[in-house]
Amino acid sequence: MLDLLYAVVVGPVKDMVGAPTFLAEVVIGGLAAGLMYSLVALGFVLIYKASGVFNFAQGVMVLFAALTLVGLMERGVPLVPALALTMLVMVALAFAIERVVLRPLVNQEQIILFMATIGLNFFLEGFGELAWGSNVKKLDVGIPDSSFMVWGIQINRLEMTAALTAAVLVAVMAVFFQRTRIGRALRAVADDHEAALSIGIPLNTIWIVVWSVAGLVAIVAGIMWGAKSGVQFSLSLIALKALPVLILGGFTSVPGAIVGGLIIGVGEKIAEVYWGPLVGGAIENWFAYVLALAFLLVRPQGLFGEKIIERV
Amino acid sequence: MRVDPSAGLTPMLEVADISVRFGAVQALERVGLTIHRGEIVAIIGPNGAGKTTLLNVISGFYHPTEGRILFEGRDRTHLRPYDVAALGVARTFQNVALFKGMSVLDNIMTGRLLKMGGNVLLDALYWGPAKKQELEHRAFVERIIDFLEIEAIRKSPAGRLPYGLQKRVELARALAAEPKLLLLDEPMAGMNVEEKEDMCRFILGVNDEFGTTIALIEHDMSVVMDISDRVVALDYGRKIADGRPDEVRADQGVIDAYLGVAHA
Repeated sequence: MLDLLYAVVVGPVKDMVGAPTFLAEVVIGGLAAGLMYSLVALGFVLIYKASGVFNFAQGVMVLFAALTLVGLMERGVPLVPALALTMLVMVALAFAIERVVLRPLVNQEQIILFMATIGLNFFLEGFGELAWGSNVKKLDVGIPDSSFMVWGIQINRLEMTAALTAAVLVAVMAVFFQRTRIGRALRAVADDHEAALSIGIPLNTIWIVVWSVAGLVAIVAGIMWGAKSGVQFSLSLIALKALPVLILGGFTSVPGAIVGGLIIGVGEKIAEVYWGPLVGGAIENWFAYVLALAFLLVRPQGLFGEKIIERV
Repeated sequence: MRVDPSAGLTPMLEVADISVRFGAVQALERVGLTIHRGEIVAIIGPNGAGKTTLLNVISGFYHPTEGRILFEGRDRTHLRPYDVAALGVARTFQNVALFKGMSVLDNIMTGRLLKMGGNVLLDALYWGPAKKQELEHRAFVERIIDFLEIEAIRKSPAGRLPYGLQKRVELARALAAEPKLLLLDEPMAGMNVEEKEDMCRFILGVNDEFGTTIALIEHDMSVVMDISDRVVALDYGRKIADGRPDEVRADQGVIDAYLGVAHA
């Protein structure tokens, strides 16, 4: 009994304190992975806030963006123009989704819009593979997957670049939301649809804007994940990793998505490295979901989500 | 600007024979009403009479099954809420619809969105002019804040304010749009006597200073008698009276509607 307690509580802590540089490496790796989860979660939060739709297709949007980019590059388009074209494609997609999916379904139940995004999910998956092929593609953005040392801590170049890009993107979005006219309109729509309509904010325009921004976020997430593990169908499954992040951070909170992503990223790395060996490893795959479940019991609205108070 | 309703005035809004049906429920039946420039019109009636429905039709949230709406002489029956807002119609809601997570100042600033010019997408990139524009609008909003005496709560999150103040902030947001026509849905519901007096003062002040035409729904008859130029009474979705406050108060149909009569 005491042995078990020692192994679970004291041992891992001793390991952490005993090798601080290694701990730092684990935490940095976790933060980097966490920012990537945040990016995907951010796509969900944006759309959920502005239109109350849980966008099931967010993961496939990441795949579709990466596929489009790689597909263009395979056909000889250089990186920068290919990136610009991919951005155009994602914005065009936002326009199309607003016109074909959202507009006809306005004022319908949330569940109906949710079903529509499931349809969108399958369409995009099929369309992407039809247009660009379904083989695993390598995405080379010119950043080597190698490491450098800072104060004796090993840092991966690719992970670092991804993390920095994600951080910049998040900062830009924060400024956009807080300071600009459109940002204020977006927050207004997220807060109260009726009131937003009454002061003359056209919902359709706002939808196009958020789906475009979600599409651009998907490109960044697609590049980062694609450069690491290749562009293939499984890329769309990172949406599943965004779910615990959303539960942790709250579906309606941009800071929540970021902090939630970081907690999940660091948490699962630490759990894997220090507690994994106790149960034979592979904790990383399910740790996030257990954490999210535990969280649901204590704070169902998430860290930063709006508390749901229903008057009865 | 208290005006004599019988004097020949320019009509601002004409609601012509509007009917609204929700399934089997006839919410409004052939209601006609004209609001003139500069008037304060009160819409009264028992619960379920169709007052809020009428307001929702005017502001484009509902569309009538029959009838037409003319705003400044042009047909706008089928416009959507944000198009109506763009024409210069602002409104408040019965259950305050503020952006609860945003500060009072930000809430009122959203009212200026339509006044802020420029391309929606380009404007995010123009730092200089966008900033200048923001400051000009800030100045206007500060005037409204002074006018409604809410200087002290500028930075507070709107959702944390007491109800009476929330209603005032909602009025401020509507005023920020510099509306030609202001629609108020029970601006004084749930207020105490002092708050009601303040609100009356503000409504009259808005009408006086900005020349804003106002249509309001109100239950408190003493308020209605005090501030309105004209009163329209609804019952069971039909218009039962339309005239000067004292006329409507004396109208037998209106008295019956409020007190209830045995329908033989």
